[in-house]
Amino acid sequence: MVGKESIGSKIFDVFNILLMLLLCVVMLYPFLHVIAVSLSSSEPILRGDITIFPKGFNVGGYKYIFQDPFLYSGYAHSIIYALGSTLFMLTFTSLMAYPLTLPDFMAKKFLSIFLVITMFFSGGLIPSYLLARSLHLLDTYWIMIIPGCVSAFNVFLFRSFYQSIPADLRESAVIDGANDIQILTKIYLPLSKPLLATFALFGIVGSWNGWFEALVYLQDENKYPLQLILRKYLFSLSFDSGTGTEVMQAMLAQMNVNAKNIQMAIVVIAMFPIMVIYPFLQKYFVKGVMIGAVKG
Amino acid sequence: MVTSHKFFKRFWKQRYLFLMVLPGFLVVLVFSYFPMYGIQIAFKKYSAVRGMWGSEWVGFKYFILFFQDPMAMRVLKNTILLGIYSLLWGFPAPIILALLFNELRFPKFKKAVQTISYLPHFISTVIIVGILRTFTEREGLFNKIAGWFGVDPIVFLSEPEWFRTIFISSNIWQGIGFGTILYLAALSSVDPTLYDVASIDGANRWQKVRNINWPHIKPTTIILLILSLSGILGTDFQKILMLYNPDTYEVADVIGTYLYREGIMGSRFEYTTAIGLFQSLVAFILLIGANMLSRKVSDTSIW
Repeated sequence: MVGKESIGSKIFDVFNILLMLLLCVVMLYPFLHVIAVSLSSSEPILRGDITIFPKGFNVGGYKYIFQDPFLYSGYAHSIIYALGSTLFMLTFTSLMAYPLTLPDFMAKKFLSIFLVITMFFSGGLIPSYLLARSLHLLDTYWIMIIPGCVSAFNVFLFRSFYQSIPADLRESAVIDGANDIQILTKIYLPLSKPLLATFALFGIVGSWNGWFEALVYLQDENKYPLQLILRKYLFSLSFDSGTGTEVMQAMLAQMNVNAKNIQMAIVVIAMFPIMVIYPFLQKYFVKGVMIGAVKG
Repeated sequence: MVTSHKFFKRFWKQRYLFLMVLPGFLVVLVFSYFPMYGIQIAFKKYSAVRGMWGSEWVGFKYFILFFQDPMAMRVLKNTILLGIYSLLWGFPAPIILALLFNELRFPKFKKAVQTISYLPHFISTVIIVGILRTFTEREGLFNKIAGWFGVDPIVFLSEPEWFRTIFISSNIWQGIGFGTILYLAALSSVDPTLYDVASIDGANRWQKVRNINWPHIKPTTIILLILSLSGILGTDFQKILMLYNPDTYEVADVIGTYLYREGIMGSRFEYTTAIGLFQSLVAFILLIGANMLSRKVSDTSIW
């Protein structure tokens, strides 16, 4: 097949490889640029001279950011929300999916319909907000952790994964006198490790990157996740329009940093955990998308 | 008497199972069903004191208000146009990229390019917007590139005519790589001997793509198209919320952002609940419609 290729085909190969290299540049450039700006000194940034290498090495932006207590509280809260919501999601979803795999479970049909309906209808933003308000859940950790933790889609995915576990295993455990909770924790969950890992990553990344729920449900800045702290920096420190207060500008000038330094430094800090786990993410997410596709 | 006794006995036997579904059941009941019940305020004059149930009915008042509001018409128009343009540009992009990936001959290179192209998918919207704001500034990258071609600097985010381009192209940048996964999965099911047979028959590469690869990804394409069609009103308003400003409201303000401004910021709860209900009804009808259409045209259906 390789031996007698047409010239057109070879030209296409070259063109395709060049296109892919261009794609890589387009995908990576913004990230490298952000890192470079965060490490550069003011003058080249103002001239717009930075590409992907820092100019006039300067860590003032990071120094400034690390002085802000909101950075630490934002980081801590993002971790709390990410781990909390993921833990509840995995626990509640695995618990709920298990009985739905048993043919003689009395509420099986009712619960399936109960869940399917939520896939097509939802109350929407405003009724959800009013509910949270009337339950006094605004400005609490719970509102960031509980509401999204059980989704019909996830329960059905877990159920179909459990269904691929041979029923003999369960039957012999029943004969040995195990109850259902023991069967779930001792047999089903250990066999579902890849599924649990995939969804743990899904949950953590989703929560880490989310910001809108926090914007709607949290007013107390002390409970903000990192993304909202980042948003505050991106919006309130604008070099272009000079909206920062004069005191702030003076202080920044003294530290030889400008708004861009600081903004890009906090972007780098917010991206850091995702970049570190990216190799795992990539692998498990591809798997996760496939699980979803087979089911959906 | 006997049957209820039996029923109770069976229930008691399954008590652990009921215990297991209870937490999930309660979460869905409270956070999915209570808000659905709350939709009734779209037809009521909501009073926090009298509660949801005690508030007075006003019929379709807020729906009529919505359709008479010129602002609302602008929002509807923007939502539909942005949805259509996003679909038109954004939907074919990952298909084309997947077909190009599939033509790469060096497995390691292919894997590396794929891995790099997935990266933006995992980055938060706040960060993406931060990068976009940097690139679109007067001294930013986009103006630098425009300068090479002798174009005067543009403050992109203040120009209504640039908003859609920036919004949609950045969405494509973020999603194109990850969007190839399902198509590549479909392509990996192609039997390699088909290519050999086609070569013997003298088919060139384009013919192989058209007659072997395309039929393999067609069902996936149709299902994803149905889903995108039904989501046409569901523009990523969270991103717009950080990307737009009063200068660009005329093209950028969509249902989601309008709901946030009027509802959460402006406390017009009944009016915005009515708009939200209208939006989800349209989305539901679109889903059913797209699915029916696809069933007729291609025998592919999502249920």
